[in-house]
Amino acid sequence: MTQRHRLAAGGHVDRAHRLGFTFDGRRYEGHAGDTLASALLANGVRLVGRSFKYHRPRGIYSAGVEEPNALVELRSGARREPNTRATVAELFDGLDATSQNHRGSLAFDWMAVSGLLAPWLGAGFYYKTFMWPAAFWERLYEPMIRKAAGLGRAAALPDPDRYEAAHAHCDVLVVGAGAAGLAAARAAGMTGARVMVLEQDFLLGGDLLNDAAHDAWRTGTIAALAAMPGVTIMRRTMAFGFYDQKVLGAVEQVADHLPEPPPHTPRQRSWTIRAKEVVLATGAHERLIAFPGNDRPGIMLAGAARTYARRYGVRAGETAVLFATHDAAYESAFALAEGGTRIAGIIDPRTDSVAMQRAREAGFTVRAGSVVTGTIGGKALRGVEIGALGSGSRGDALPADLLMISGGWNPAVHLASMAGTPLRWDDSLLAFVPGEGAWQRSAGACGGVHGTGAAARDGAEAGRAAAVAAGFVAGADVPLPEAPAADHRPFALWEVKAGGKAFVDLQDDVTANDIRLAHREGFSHIEHAKRYTTHAMGTDQGKVGGLVGAAVLADARREPVASVGLPRYRPYAAPITWGAMAGGEVGQNFQPVRRTALHSEHDALGAVWMDAGLWKRAAYYPRPGDADAWASVKREARAVRERVGVCDVSTLGKIAVEGPDAATFLDRVYANTFSTLPIGRARYGLMLREDGIVFDDGTTTRLGPDRFFVTTTTAQAGPVMQHLEFHLASAWPDLDVSLASVTDQWAAMSVAGPRARAVIAAVVQGLDVANEAFPFMAVADCVVAGVPARLFRISFSGELAYEIAMPAGYAGHVWKAVMEAGAPHGIEPYGVEALGLLRIEKGHVAGSEINGQTTAQDLGLGRMLKKKGDFIGRVLAQRPGLTDPARPRLVGLRSVDPNRQIRAGSHLLVDGQDQGWITSATQSVVDPGWIGLGMLRDGDARIGSEIVAANPLMGEEVPVKVVTPHGYDAENLRVRA
Amino acid sequence: MSAPEPTHPLAAVVRGRHGATGGEPLRVSFPAREIVQVMMRRGQDSAVAAAMRSAFGIDPPGPGQAATGSGASAIWVQPGQWLLTAPRGTQATLAARAEQAFAGLAAVADQSHGRTTIALSGPAARDALARGCRLDLHPSVFGPSRAAQTPIAQIGCLVHQTDATPCFELTVFSTLAEPFLHWLLEAAAPYGVQVA
Repeated sequence: MTQRHRLAAGGHVDRAHRLGFTFDGRRYEGHAGDTLASALLANGVRLVGRSFKYHRPRGIYSAGVEEPNALVELRSGARREPNTRATVAELFDGLDATSQNHRGSLAFDWMAVSGLLAPWLGAGFYYKTFMWPAAFWERLYEPMIRKAAGLGRAAALPDPDRYEAAHAHCDVLVVGAGAAGLAAARAAGMTGARVMVLEQDFLLGGDLLNDAAHDAWRTGTIAALAAMPGVTIMRRTMAFGFYDQKVLGAVEQVADHLPEPPPHTPRQRSWTIRAKEVVLATGAHERLIAFPGNDRPGIMLAGAARTYARRYGVRAGETAVLFATHDAAYESAFALAEGGTRIAGIIDPRTDSVAMQRAREAGFTVRAGSVVTGTIGGKALRGVEIGALGSGSRGDALPADLLMISGGWNPAVHLASMAGTPLRWDDSLLAFVPGEGAWQRSAGACGGVHGTGAAARDGAEAGRAAAVAAGFVAGADVPLPEAPAADHRPFALWEVKAGGKAFVDLQDDVTANDIRLAHREGFSHIEHAKRYTTHAMGTDQGKVGGLVGAAVLADARREPVASVGLPRYRPYAAPITWGAMAGGEVGQNFQPVRRTALHSEHDALGAVWMDAGLWKRAAYYPRPGDADAWASVKREARAVRERVGVCDVSTLGKIAVEGPDAATFLDRVYANTFSTLPIGRARYGLMLREDGIVFDDGTTTRLGPDRFFVTTTTAQAGPVMQHLEFHLASAWPDLDVSLASVTDQWAAMSVAGPRARAVIAAVVQGLDVANEAFPFMAVADCVVAGVPARLFRISFSGELAYEIAMPAGYAGHVWKAVMEAGAPHGIEPYGVEALGLLRIEKGHVAGSEINGQTTAQDLGLGRMLKKKGDFIGRVLAQRPGLTDPARPRLVGLRSVDPNRQIRAGSHLLVDGQDQGWITSATQSVVDPGWIGLGMLRDGDARIGSEIVAANPLMGEEVPVKVVTPHGYDAENLRVRA
Repeated sequence: MSAPEPTHPLAAVVRGRHGATGGEPLRVSFPAREIVQVMMRRGQDSAVAAAMRSAFGIDPPGPGQAATGSGASAIWVQPGQWLLTAPRGTQATLAARAEQAFAGLAAVADQSHGRTTIALSGPAARDALARGCRLDLHPSVFGPSRAAQTPIAQIGCLVHQTDATPCFELTVFSTLAEPFLHWLLEAAAPYGVQVA
């Protein structure tokens, strides 16, 4: 198909470079430099989508980021991307685009019947209609509404492309590269400042691209910027958010203009930019006028029609009418006339103006004091109805296939407002402009300064001032473009009340009547009206009609627009993809994986892995003979109970505490005493939080008079370190203590079981490990398998056990030596599951019991709290609620029927009353059957009784017997053996 | 029995060129280092400075700074704390030398196994690091002998610029060295990267 609406010359498209693309399956051709929208218009495609609610036919309305109508799906399969504005989609060869939000074809959408129901589908319809029955909401109403009202479809396949995050810093950040932005960048760059320029478009210049007269200045300025080593220009990069302390977020569309990203190139890059000073030069968005039928394909913002003519060399219509309220919009009529469009008439509510006279001199018919009262056509505009201003009646009609409208220009104040800049109403521009200050300088049209020359001058001043504020000395003046002033002051016409649907928000199908309905029903605040009607929501966030809706609300409230205001601007200024938000932190990079020094040993043994925070830990080591996972776990646990096992405990937190006040410090952070601990001995320690709840437990060793080695649980290693550092820095700065995290320095393994001593004796050098010489809780530096190590006689399993700690680089060597020395004794590696089994059997608490809700008394550890001296948590642990004897206490549990499983999380019922819960459950290897630990009210008194473990999720009620948690080797003979 | 060579946390990493081909690649290496954390006791500022000077030829660097002396470097990590590093040698360990030099003046924690250093050098090193590093490494702000700690790819990292190539030595917890390197190689892939 030929590009029958393409002009023969002019603009910034490369007519020698043809690009093939498809829209709804039909093949078309465009040029390099086109957007999808300009290429569609060049091919005469007017109908591009259906509206959100009424499924009304819609065409291309704008030429930029503000587009409310032309939302399309790009590409197909895994790369399918919904809701992309055709007006900003850069054309490439092979682009495959599809219209969306219709059933059946775009031309015949049977959902359009909802348009016939429109009288009943006003604002709040869904809220009122789908209220009841409540059960219908989830199953019927919501899916139905979603199906009817949805926009495009996201790809259901994993995204094949890569996204990444990146950080940048600069002295002056310039957002926008139109006349103001380019001048600002040049002025700032001349001072030697580091300057970054962000431009969302693929071409630099903004409105300069619409006037060949300014091209020399545009290209000259770009060349000058390119020659400045401190200036970085980023095209296709949209600043979406302005955050505290001049941090901005932006997305760079690195490869969206290509069929697929080249190797080692992300599709998009999400930038976090920290700037010393910020110049916003984001331009302005033209606004619509609300009149009946202002949404038909063929109706377009006047500035957009000019952009298509001048930048893209595309005639957006053959016969056009301009409906405008200010002089600057007349440029569109002149621009289109140059391109061969017949101007059927200019409709202007004003009585007279300079531009009107110029238009008449040029031979255009100007209808002063007139307004558009309606439009004629279906899937394309055929005519425009005209009436006198204020009459409310329809007069004659003009045939037209293009209606250009302009109700004025809204400065793009989104970023300024996000930065906290108050907005100020400008009575001549009839728009909100940024007020004073707050982290940014708005220059050019976004600051209310219109016209190429004036905007460039404003930008140069802002750029220079920003560089000076960043500490640079102002440079020479920059050349500025010569341009006549343009008059953007509109006549205050927001709405033509003439009966029929007058849209204030095209994307969300919100009409002026919907706004009035919201007001009548009490949703008169702009934020309430927004939510009640969905006004100014969607991908365009009301850029085209937001202020018009506010003006309609102001009229209903009989107040000035200035006092009604706009809904609060929040990120994102324009839509970005989920991929960009996630950046590279997906899949393997979602979180770092932490591996112990023994990872490859476990791998070689075929370990099944489990996640413990960031760590990978060996859960168990299946063997060919094991019937299932439980068989493996029980085999490993039995090896520990009967012979000897070895387990990687490197993930425990380890902190070196040293200094003259180290013992005093530990006495304060632990609920029990450490100053009395002899050198070469370890002690179990309990830490409370400030509020008296148990924080963490572990063993702490005294290595010297003022040297201690603290261990924490795996989960609390970080929080405990923070807790200690915080108290040292804030509560007791007088204590001379230093802390070093040595978790990664030391790898550790537990060797546990009745034959552990024999294994240890075979690998240790320079240390007598006989029971009397090296008793329970002894610690000593030694040599193990030829490497320096530290040996601890501590036990979590309830068996005779040792922990060997060694510098991490030697861990593999020591592990192999232990396995070799243990082979004659039947040693087996055991994983976290067996470790859990053993500690539940023994009655040791772990994270499931120390869960941030339990006290020392609850856990049966009340006697550990020292009587003398203060410690963190002492005072608040005395609160009545925490000392209440009726609080659930730690108990042991055993399934009455050894074959009936009990589960952590099950509730403990006594006579049908919920009296507690199961914290941990496993199978015993000492006395086969299901056992567990739990928290039970009156737990001590209920030992010996039979209660019920109920798990409604699984539909289970299992009789369990309450037992002491310390049923296995209550006298601790085995650990002391 | 003498101690075996310790296993480096990145021993399994594939050496050679990664990422884009053609052009001068970024270079990544894993210098064998001994690292100790020196934590000054109260009021020992001048004594610690004297000890560091006499034992290692280093004036203790201040905040954000690193300094190199005779065969060892010190990087400031927090008030009164430095990481002391030296190439792994055959003589007495750095930890032993530091224990001796700072006896009674500072606590010394051996971190030779607990921290892993990855060196990244090449003209594009700053651009690669910017994929995850929030610090401004521009020559007007950062430079040789500068150091700072920052999270990169969710991993705490000590960034130390050693020369103007630029070369950055990146020191992380050893158990996180592997995911950190994975991130670094991805960040460097567009420029090509040679792992030595």
